[in-house]
Amino acid sequence: MQQDTNSVNAVGDIVRFENVGMRYRLGAEVLHDISFALPAGSFHFLTGPSGAGKSSLMRLMYLAHRPSRGLISMFGRDVSTVPRRELAALRRRIGVVFQEFKLLDHLSALDNVALPLRIAGAKEGQIRDHVAELLRWVGLEGQLDERPSTLSGGEQQRVAIARAVIARPQILLADEPTGNVDDEIAIRLMYLLEELNKIGTTVVVATHNESLIERFRHPCFHIEDGLLTGPSDRPGRAA
Amino acid sequence: MSWRASDVPLGDDPASRYLPWTVGMLVLLATLAMATGMILSSAGEMWRQSLSGTLTVQVPVPDPVAGAAGDIGADQDARVEAALDLLRNTPGVTAARRISDRRISELLEPWLGAQALSMNLPMPALIDVTTSPDAAIDVPALSTRLETAVPGTVVDDHAVWLRRLSNFASVAEAVSFGAMVVILLSAVATVVFTTRTGLAIHRDVVEVLHLIGAQDSYVARQFQIHTLRLASIGAAVGFALGIAAVLAIQLYGGKLGGGLLPDLSLTGLQWLALAVLPFAATLLVVVTVGITVMRDLARMM
Repeated sequence: MQQDTNSVNAVGDIVRFENVGMRYRLGAEVLHDISFALPAGSFHFLTGPSGAGKSSLMRLMYLAHRPSRGLISMFGRDVSTVPRRELAALRRRIGVVFQEFKLLDHLSALDNVALPLRIAGAKEGQIRDHVAELLRWVGLEGQLDERPSTLSGGEQQRVAIARAVIARPQILLADEPTGNVDDEIAIRLMYLLEELNKIGTTVVVATHNESLIERFRHPCFHIEDGLLTGPSDRPGRAA
Repeated sequence: MSWRASDVPLGDDPASRYLPWTVGMLVLLATLAMATGMILSSAGEMWRQSLSGTLTVQVPVPDPVAGAAGDIGADQDARVEAALDLLRNTPGVTAARRISDRRISELLEPWLGAQALSMNLPMPALIDVTTSPDAAIDVPALSTRLETAVPGTVVDDHAVWLRRLSNFASVAEAVSFGAMVVILLSAVATVVFTTRTGLAIHRDVVEVLHLIGAQDSYVARQFQIHTLRLASIGAAVGFALGIAAVLAIQLYGGKLGGGLLPDLSLTGLQWLALAVLPFAATLLVVVTVGITVMRDLARMM
């Protein structure tokens, strides 16, 4: 992750922000002059205190919000100029693990995970086997037909991760993915994300869990009062 | 369209729960309005056809005082025969026949009762005249000649009645079809409201669907499938009740008889047009839902 946009190689970047500012409606700006680039296949942490702007920055990256100013480029396309009808195709290349999971309570774990495939128009006959295999991979083979409300926090988290990766996104954005689970499950989830990163998925994890950042060796980006700094290269971490 | 569980939990919506009732009532009213319009249209056309190309000649009973002594009945028959002779010899007249007393009695029965003839009322004799479609009968001249030959005779060419009838049928028909259009527009307005409420209730779910790559059309289809189910049920029930009401009106209207009501029957084509109504209403509702969802979603990122 590079904050100086002049020094990044734009060709291999999946995400590029240049002097981005963001405000909600007519409110005050919550992000100021954000500039960075994410190379394909990288793994980064995004940290900062609550209310610093982590979730807002993530919202910009998963195309839930447009910037008030500046340039955001996703997969080489300026999102400000992408027509609305083409946003869906861009979003399908992004996997998101939401802070509150955002699982659909009226659907089973299997149907929740199958959603991105159905939306992409996959054939129904292929969906079940594919989804069941992924849920087995995240250790939920016995809960395919369970509703999210009957699952524990950790299990819901794994369903959310399975939903985020089922369609093989190029980038996975996880917003406080360990916020609702204990340390042991948080560490297991992080190993899961590392596995995805090893097979080529670019990963960004927003968290304020310092112990996770200390434990896993990835460059860390810091945001405070809407200003982005970093990435910090801690001893032993890959930049 | 698949019938698996909808991605948007619309089944729990309080607003959509009443959609079948709303659509059902509106289809019922639209069916009645459309059937009424068709009956009025047919009746107007039938009246026009039956009255155009005809004249009615009234030969009043001679004044008994003025006629002094003598057989009034025989005198009246002679007056009618004279009028008939004159009419049959008029160019353009293809037929002239006296309407029987029995038929006059039948026509008067709804107003005067079954004993109309035995009341010895001084009823005029009626002559039904049919004219050639190509003939231009000079009605005022014919009236003058008849008045000269048979004093007191009146010729009615139904022109005023026809004009009023035509105006009435046209206005009534327009009102009926206008009512049907208003009813369908009410359905549209109700569906727009219900859909917007559903979108507001499920905004979070819709946002999730968007963020994992759903097109607006995918979300709209979720609403349309749900609406199709509910509207189909409502339209079917409303149409069945509407048809039952039309059949009941035909049955009891037919029993009135006596020319009080026009013919209430519908042609095969008209029944077919009525049968299209529930499908058209359902299609209208589903298309409205799609447009409403697409327009509302266009305001989201």
